[in-house]
Amino acid sequence: MKELLVERLSKIYFDPDRGERIAALEEVSLRIAPGEFVAVVGPSGCGKSTLLNLIAGFLEPTSGRILLDGRPVRGPGPDRGVVFQSYALFPWKTVLENVAFGPRMRGLPKAECHAKAMRYLELVGLAHVAHRYPRELSGGMQQRVGVVRALANEPEILLMDEPFAAVDAQTRMTLQEELARIYEERRPTILFVTHDVNEAVFLADRVLLLSKGRLREEIPVPIARPRRWPRLVEDDDFKALVARTLSAVRAA
Amino acid sequence: MTASAEPVRAHRRARTGAIVQAALPFVLLLLLWQGLVAGLQVSPLVFPSLSAVVRAAGQGLRDGSLFLHLGASLARVAIGTAIALLLAVPLGMAMGVSRAVAAFFTPLLRFFSVLAGIAWIPIATLWFGYGFGAIVFVIFNAVFFVVAYNTLLGVATIPVELRRAAASLGARRWSMVREVLLPGALPNIVTGIRTGLGFAWRALIAAEMIATSTGLGYMLFLARDFYRTEVIVLGMVLVGCTWLALDRLLLAPLERRTIERWGVVRGA
Ligand SMILES: Nc1ncnc2c1ncn2[C@@H]1O[C@H](COP(=O)(O)OP(=O)(O)O)[C@@H](O)[C@H]1O
Ligand SMILES: [Mg+2]
Repeated sequence: MKELLVERLSKIYFDPDRGERIAALEEVSLRIAPGEFVAVVGPSGCGKSTLLNLIAGFLEPTSGRILLDGRPVRGPGPDRGVVFQSYALFPWKTVLENVAFGPRMRGLPKAECHAKAMRYLELVGLAHVAHRYPRELSGGMQQRVGVVRALANEPEILLMDEPFAAVDAQTRMTLQEELARIYEERRPTILFVTHDVNEAVFLADRVLLLSKGRLREEIPVPIARPRRWPRLVEDDDFKALVARTLSAVRAA
Repeated sequence: MTASAEPVRAHRRARTGAIVQAALPFVLLLLLWQGLVAGLQVSPLVFPSLSAVVRAAGQGLRDGSLFLHLGASLARVAIGTAIALLLAVPLGMAMGVSRAVAAFFTPLLRFFSVLAGIAWIPIATLWFGYGFGAIVFVIFNAVFFVVAYNTLLGVATIPVELRRAAASLGARRWSMVREVLLPGALPNIVTGIRTGLGFAWRALIAAEMIATSTGLGYMLFLARDFYRTEVIVLGMVLVGCTWLALDRLLLAPLERRTIERWGVVRGA
């Protein structure tokens, strides 16, 4: 597991329709240690997706640097796994083939890829739908597949862009607990982007506040793991941290 | 009667109803035709009677000439289409991968799609002479541009997240084409094939009237020289029926299945 370093990252979009320049991200710097879970919160339009897409290599920065394990990031690659809000599962592949995709791209033998994919599906209790197609699954199940597809490729860092925003509230809490459990068991490095303060505080070791393209504040979350909702909804520290983060978001 | 048999029956009834509804206008047309030709005593040099056409069909079936012409037409379509697909799909993919290639070829494709088929007949006969080559070339042109354009369209409609997901899972250019772009564009490609074949079939009949000595178009045109109106009408019926059969029994189901199986369900 390697460290991620972002140095004075800026992204300026040009909107040709309006002939305007939009500074989506300005001089953002951050560091994520190996095995750390960091959440970035901020209102819609503050630049969260831009930050994530730059790190994923889907976009070119206007200025600044992104280093993974000391090496500059150029374009997308299997060292950075991405989980999308829209799941982005391949509809023409079965659940198993979706999860096996990353290992197959690395040239592992097919049988080995499928065995590995199966192990990862078991991790989220989805082995029984391995041979179904994504559209036959509920949104919550599809996103579980999205998460293990990224995990099965064993990336250095997991990048997640509002992955649970499209499912109902009940399922969302289950998915959050499952992600917390996976993190507690395996300690992957995670950068998680969301507009939901509760979600950010529940999941992360550290919450970064993004507003109008700038990082405003950093809020450590010293809450013990394992984290589960029944305990945390009663927890005064959790409630106080959420309240504090919420007011910071509003003030920013 | 079991409960589960009921939906099957209802489905069958609906199907039968649809077939009756589609056939009814044709039955009326045939009755009207027979009635008018007999009632007005129309000369066979102007328009044949239904029975004369049926006799001509029987004759053609017995001496095998119908199969010869139909077979020749279908073989040309198959070969022209196959060559067109082999070139159009890779070109469409290349355009989907590279913005520069797409920018270069798109205006050309738009222009040549309009020329589809028939306009190529004169130049085709100059290049290939009167025969197989000229007709296959015309078919090729009718299919190629439409399929290339639809392939490009298909690649363009693949959600950007799918490409990004593949890239961040380690897919390089060739895997991207094979695993994402081709399957993602397949429904559009099949739609393109169906549309292109529609153009090709019309162009084929026109080309065969001019540039060959077999085929349905030739059969029509030759009969005209001998005032054999019953053969002309038989040929027209065959041209229409063959296309309907090809489209309804092969292309439409293929398109539907591709969309069901490969179609991208948008909006999660
Ligand atoms: N491709 C683009 N072209 C122009 N402006 C964009 C583009 N993508 C995002 N933006 C703008 O950049 C800002 C940040 O967008 P984004 O990173 O998507 O925010 P968030 O994910 O926090 O909602 C917004 O004002 C948005 O309208
Ligand atoms: Mg966003």
